[in-house]
Amino acid sequence: MSTISLHDTHNHDSHDDHGHHKETFLSKYVFSMDHKMIAKQFLITGIIMAVIAMGLSILFRIQLAWPDKSFPILETFLGEWAEGGRIKPDFYLALVTIHGTIMVFFVLTAGLSGTFSNLLIPLQIGARDMASPFLNMLSYWFFFSACVIMMSSFFIQTGPASAGWTIYPPLSALPTAIKGSGLGMTLWLISMVLFVASSLMGGINYVSTVLNMRTKGMDLWKMPLTIWAFFLTAILGILSFPVLVAGVVLLVFDRSFGTSFYLSDIVMGTQVLPNEGGSPILWQHLFWFLGHPEVYIVIMPALGISSEVISVNSRKPIFGYHAMIYSLIGITILSFIVWGHHMFVTGMNPLLGGVFMITTLIIAVPSAVKTFNYLATLWRGNIKFTPAMLFAIGLVSFFISGGLTGLFLGNASLDINLHDTYFVVAHFHLVMGSAAIFGMLAGVYHWYPKMFGRMMSNKLGYLHFWLTFICAYLVFFPLHFLGLDGVPRRYYAFTEFEFMQKWLTVNVFVTWAAIIGGLAQVAFLWNFFYSIFKGKKAPQNPWGANTLEWTAPVEHIHGNWPGEIPTVYRWPYDYSKPGAEQDFIPQTIPFSETMSSNMPHDFEGNAEAERIQKEWEDQRDADEKTKLD
Amino acid sequence: MVHSIKQQETGLDYRAKKFVMWLFVVSSTIMFGGWTSYYIVFSASKGKGHGLVLPELFIYSTAVLVLSSISLFLASRALKNQQFNAQKTFLCLTMVLGIVFGYLQVDAWSTMVKTGAVLMNNNAAISLIYIVSGFHILHIFAGICLVFNALMGAYKELPMEKRTYRMEIASIFWHFIDILWIYLYVFLLLNS
Repeated sequence: MSTISLHDTHNHDSHDDHGHHKETFLSKYVFSMDHKMIAKQFLITGIIMAVIAMGLSILFRIQLAWPDKSFPILETFLGEWAEGGRIKPDFYLALVTIHGTIMVFFVLTAGLSGTFSNLLIPLQIGARDMASPFLNMLSYWFFFSACVIMMSSFFIQTGPASAGWTIYPPLSALPTAIKGSGLGMTLWLISMVLFVASSLMGGINYVSTVLNMRTKGMDLWKMPLTIWAFFLTAILGILSFPVLVAGVVLLVFDRSFGTSFYLSDIVMGTQVLPNEGGSPILWQHLFWFLGHPEVYIVIMPALGISSEVISVNSRKPIFGYHAMIYSLIGITILSFIVWGHHMFVTGMNPLLGGVFMITTLIIAVPSAVKTFNYLATLWRGNIKFTPAMLFAIGLVSFFISGGLTGLFLGNASLDINLHDTYFVVAHFHLVMGSAAIFGMLAGVYHWYPKMFGRMMSNKLGYLHFWLTFICAYLVFFPLHFLGLDGVPRRYYAFTEFEFMQKWLTVNVFVTWAAIIGGLAQVAFLWNFFYSIFKGKKAPQNPWGANTLEWTAPVEHIHGNWPGEIPTVYRWPYDYSKPGAEQDFIPQTIPFSETMSSNMPHDFEGNAEAERIQKEWEDQRDADEKTKLD
Repeated sequence: MVHSIKQQETGLDYRAKKFVMWLFVVSSTIMFGGWTSYYIVFSASKGKGHGLVLPELFIYSTAVLVLSSISLFLASRALKNQQFNAQKTFLCLTMVLGIVFGYLQVDAWSTMVKTGAVLMNNNAAISLIYIVSGFHILHIFAGICLVFNALMGAYKELPMEKRTYRMEIASIFWHFIDILWIYLYVFLLLNS
C-alpha cells in the first residue's frame, strides 16, 4: 500500500455520511466527534479531577494526623471552612464525600472507561469510529458539565454535599439536616444525573460498536481481552445505572416535593416532620444495586488493560484466554446478586444475609482465576519492564492483597464487626482504588504513543511507579489494623475517644506517606504534559504488539485506517510462537505467511487448511532429508 | 471499489445505530424496573399497596396508545409499499393519538387529586403512581419527537434508506413505550 493511494482514499472517507467539512478548531478539539479526540478529552478531564480528588484527600489526611494543630495557610485558601487554620467538622465530611464521589465516578468510571473504551474499541476491533459519534460527543460534554457542577458546590455558602458518596437518606433527603444537605446536595444530584446520562450514552455506544462494527475476521473469540473487558463493563453500566436514576428521582421528590419514599418518623429539633411510611433501607437497596456493579465497572477495564499489557511485555500468550473471558462474564453476572453484602447490618433477615454471603464469596473464584492467569502469564516470560508493565504488575499485587480482605468482609458474621471501620477503607482502597488506578496508569503509559504519537520518559515513569507503589501500601496497609481495633471511618478527630488515641501516631505516618505519594504524581503530570509536546516521536509499533491499533498510522486520521480496514486472521496473543521469525505475529498476518509456526489447533478443524499445512510440512521434511543426503 | 466499501459500511452504521436504540430501550426498562421493584418491596414490607381504584381514564388512555401503535405500524407498512401519502397520514395520526394520550393521563391525575390521592402522600405507593406515569409521559414526549423526525424525513423526501432508518427508530421506541405503559398499568392494577 503506497502512501499516495492511502491519502486518496482517506479524503473520500472523511467526506462520508455526516457531512464532515473542513475541520475548525472548534470541531477538531472541542466538539469533536472523533473517538480518538474524545478519548483524550476524557483522559485529561479525568486526570484533572483525579488531582483535585487527591488534593481533597491530603486535606483530610492533614486533619486526621494533626487534629489539634493550626495551619494558617489552610485558612488563606479555604476561608471560613478552615477558621483558625483547622478544618471544620462540616467541611471534613464534605471532603470525604466529594473525594469518594470524584474518585469512583469521575476518575475511575468516566476517566477510565471513557478514555480507553473510546480509544481502543474502534482501533482494536477495526472500525472507523463509534456506532454514533454524535452520542459519543454528547457523552463527553455531559460528563464535563457534571464535573463543573460538582466542583461548583465548593463555591457556595453551605458547601458541598456531605452525606458520604452513598448519600444515604435521611441526611441526603432533608435539606436542613446538615449544612451539606442543602444546595450542595442538590448540585450533587444534578451532577450525578448528568453523569449517569453521559455514562449511558457512552456505554450504549460501546456495546453497539463491539457487536456490530468489527472488521472482517474479527469474531468475538479473536477480540483482545481489553475489548472483552470494556464490552462487559459497558453492559454492566447499562444494566445498573438506570436503577440509580430511579433511586435518585425518588430522592429528589423526597427533598423537593414532600413525598415520603425514604422518610418516616423524623423529628428535627423539636419539630415532628409529617413524612411517614417510607423506608431509608429501600434507598440502600436501589443504591447498592448500582453501587456494587459500579465497583466492577471500575475494576474490569483495569483488568482488561493489564491482561493486554502483561501479555505483550511478557512476550507470551495470555494464559487461559478463554478462562479470562469466562471469569469476566462470571464477575459480570455475579455482581448483580451480591449488593446485600453492603447491608449486613441493616437488620437484614439472616437467611437473606447468608444468600448474599455465598454469592459474594463465589466472586472470589473468577477473581482468583484471573489472578492466577496473570501470574502464569508472567511465569518464565521474557519480561520487558516498561513503566506500563510495572503498573500492570502493581495492579496484580493490589488486587491480591486487597482481594484477600474481601473474603473477611464478605462473611456476614465478620462483617458485623468490621462494618464501617477503617478495615473497609483499607480493603476497597487497595482492591478497587489502587488496583484500578494502576490499571489506568498502565493503560496511559502503554497507549500514550497511540494517543499522542510520542513516547513518555521511562525514567520518570519508573520514579513515578516506585514512589506511588510504595506509598500506596504505606498509606492503606496500616489502616487494616485501625479497622480491626474498631476505629470507625469518617470520624473527624481521633482525640475525642480514648481507644482511638493510640492510633494518632499511625495517622501521622499515613499522612506523610500520602503526601509523598501525592508529590510523586508530579513526576507523572510533568511526564504526561511535557511529552505531548516534546516527547520522542513514537514508532509505528513501539512495544511489538499484535493488536490492530498498532497497524493504524501514527498520525491520527479521521476513519483510523487509510484505505481498507485490515482483515483479522488470528487471535491477538501469538507471542514467542515456536518456529516464527519474530517474537510476535500481528493479527493481520494470515496463516499462509507463517507456515513454519502454525499449530494444528490454529485451524479450528478446517480440514482444507490442515491438508495444505501438512503438505507444506511434508515438503519441508523432504527438502531437509535431501539436504542431509 | 472504495465506493462499494463505503456503502457496505454505512449499512453497518445504520444497523449499529438501530442497536443503540435497542440498548436505550433496555436501560429504560431497567429504570422502570427499579421503580416497580421499589413498589414490590415497599408493599411487601408495609403490607399495603396504593389501595386505590385507578381512574377509568387510564383504560381510555391505554386504548388510545394501542391505537397509536397500530397507526404507526400501518405507517411503516405504507413506507415499505412506497405509499408515501398514506405514510404521512398515519404518522400524523400517531402523533395526534400520542398527544391525546398525554392529555388523558394528565386528566387521570386530576381525578386522582380530586379523590385525595395526591403526589405528596404518606403512602409512597400512591406517589409512585405519579412518578411512573409522569416519567412515562416524558418518554411519550421523546417518542413524539422521533415520530416527527420520521415525518420530516418523509416530507423532505430523503433517500429511501434514511427514511426507513428514521421510521424504524421511531417504531422501536414507540412500540416500546406502548408495551411499557401496558406493563405499568397492569402492574398497578394487580398490586393495589
